[in-house]
Amino acid sequence: MIIGYVFSLETVYVLTGVTLLIFALMTFADGANPRRLGSGCFWLTLGITFMFGGVAPHWLTGSLVLFLVALDGLGQVGRGRVETDTAEKAEHARRLGKRIFIPVLAIPIVTFAFALIFRGVGMDVNRGALVGLGFGGVAAMIMCLKLTGGGARALMNEGRRLNEAMGAVNILPQLLASLGVIFTAAGVGSLIARGIQQIIPADNLFLLVLANCLGMALFTIVMGNSFAAFPVIATGVLVPLIVKPFGVNPAMAAIITLTAGSSGTLMTPMAANFNIVPAALLNMRDQYGVIKFQLPYALTMWSFHVLLLWLLIKVS
Amino acid sequence: MNIQDLLKLAGVAIVVVGLALRLRTTLVVVVAALVTGLVSGLPLFSHEGFFQNLPYLTKPGQTGVINTLGKAFADNRLMTLFIITLPAIGLAERYGLQEQSADLIRKIRAATVGRLQIIYQLFRALHGLMGIRLNGHPSFVRPLIFPMSVGAAQASDTDSVEKIKAANAAAENYGNFYGQNLSTVQAGILLVYSHMQALGLTVSVVDLVKYTLPIFAASVILAIIQFRWLDRALGKMAEAKR
Repeated sequence: MIIGYVFSLETVYVLTGVTLLIFALMTFADGANPRRLGSGCFWLTLGITFMFGGVAPHWLTGSLVLFLVALDGLGQVGRGRVETDTAEKAEHARRLGKRIFIPVLAIPIVTFAFALIFRGVGMDVNRGALVGLGFGGVAAMIMCLKLTGGGARALMNEGRRLNEAMGAVNILPQLLASLGVIFTAAGVGSLIARGIQQIIPADNLFLLVLANCLGMALFTIVMGNSFAAFPVIATGVLVPLIVKPFGVNPAMAAIITLTAGSSGTLMTPMAANFNIVPAALLNMRDQYGVIKFQLPYALTMWSFHVLLLWLLIKVS
Repeated sequence: MNIQDLLKLAGVAIVVVGLALRLRTTLVVVVAALVTGLVSGLPLFSHEGFFQNLPYLTKPGQTGVINTLGKAFADNRLMTLFIITLPAIGLAERYGLQEQSADLIRKIRAATVGRLQIIYQLFRALHGLMGIRLNGHPSFVRPLIFPMSVGAAQASDTDSVEKIKAANAAAENYGNFYGQNLSTVQAGILLVYSHMQALGLTVSVVDLVKYTLPIFAASVILAIIQFRWLDRALGKMAEAKR
């Protein structure tokens, strides 16, 4: 009973919340960050939603989300500078060599072990993998401290460096998943589904699969983000028009739909981080050079997704 | 379709236009969520507690859009759980993680540009499998893969080098996009898992990874074909120069 409580999802959320809290306190004290107040508040608030999200009233969590997004929208979330004593550490790093991989590899190993144990005792494997990720992170922290001899302060400071480098976009997947929930609550999905049904006969599986993958790729091309496209397409096309009426395996259909969007990411300048920034990093003459190279590959991969999804539904 | 129905699509339109205009992503997404809820006739807050006494903000019997947002955000904390892995990865980076990875890459003995790209793509997919999130363009592609590719190339004329650069960036993207879903804790898998849950369908993250396998296999085979063509094209360009 107690073990079940310790190794629960809520525990790893609290641990993550504490980590964010420490990041926030360090950010508040970071003189090198011109936006330290806003940034500190952002990570502190996120930490609070992590620690108390399971028990706080929903209106409060929702209001805190609005506060988070307002801070980011006003440009108050920035990054500071984490100073490190490089000379001494370079020496230490040479001595450690490849052993530095051990703590990093511990994360997937612990994750996997938890998933297996949860399955073994007849509990939810999904939950096991997530709880394992949390404890894997903690185990890796301990191993890293022992191995490198770096202090707890350095540990958290380096974590904060990575976290601030990614910035507020860190919470985007969580926000997109929430947007999907609201789309569902508002009935946006059934609306899109009805629109598509006026064009495509409900029994024409191939055309529906085609529309599903095409919609996913087009939305991704326009938005530059397949994670943003997925909730719309899944709610409006995949689930109401394909998964439910044809009794399709939802895991299979969903993951193939998601990567059909990745083909779109390869084709769009909107996904600047992946296609335009690299062209600049490499000093390419043509800023669209990467996209042009990827285009035939992306179109072939996309066609493969359409055929694979259609065939897997056909044979099942 | 009546006007009321069309208005419900306002949220979708906001996301599409907002992201296309490169407005702040987090803000666009939450504004879209609020607008979708409000135009669908949902109140801001649920009719409970002290909100009952406030005018306009609630409607009896309906869940408020901010309540829904809060519940959804709390339910989806799993998407941002990876933050707990950052201290260990950060400290390991400080003690030479990237340098040691670079060392491994440098040990690659690839006879041709194309083969080097394939090996790098697999190396990148391995990161996905281990659940490591990383933007390899600045950390591996620019400082390592690009100079190594030029070193492996027969010709170093501008046209060849431009092609090589494009291939370097592509190998990173291919390995990243189609390799990341090989781990149960990556954002894509978790997004699909939680969104399907919200739609009332329970899927297993293990199944999601299982159905990624044919896609991953196709992504590698297709890359082998494309990078072989690249080798051939580079060879021809080198010959034409002679």
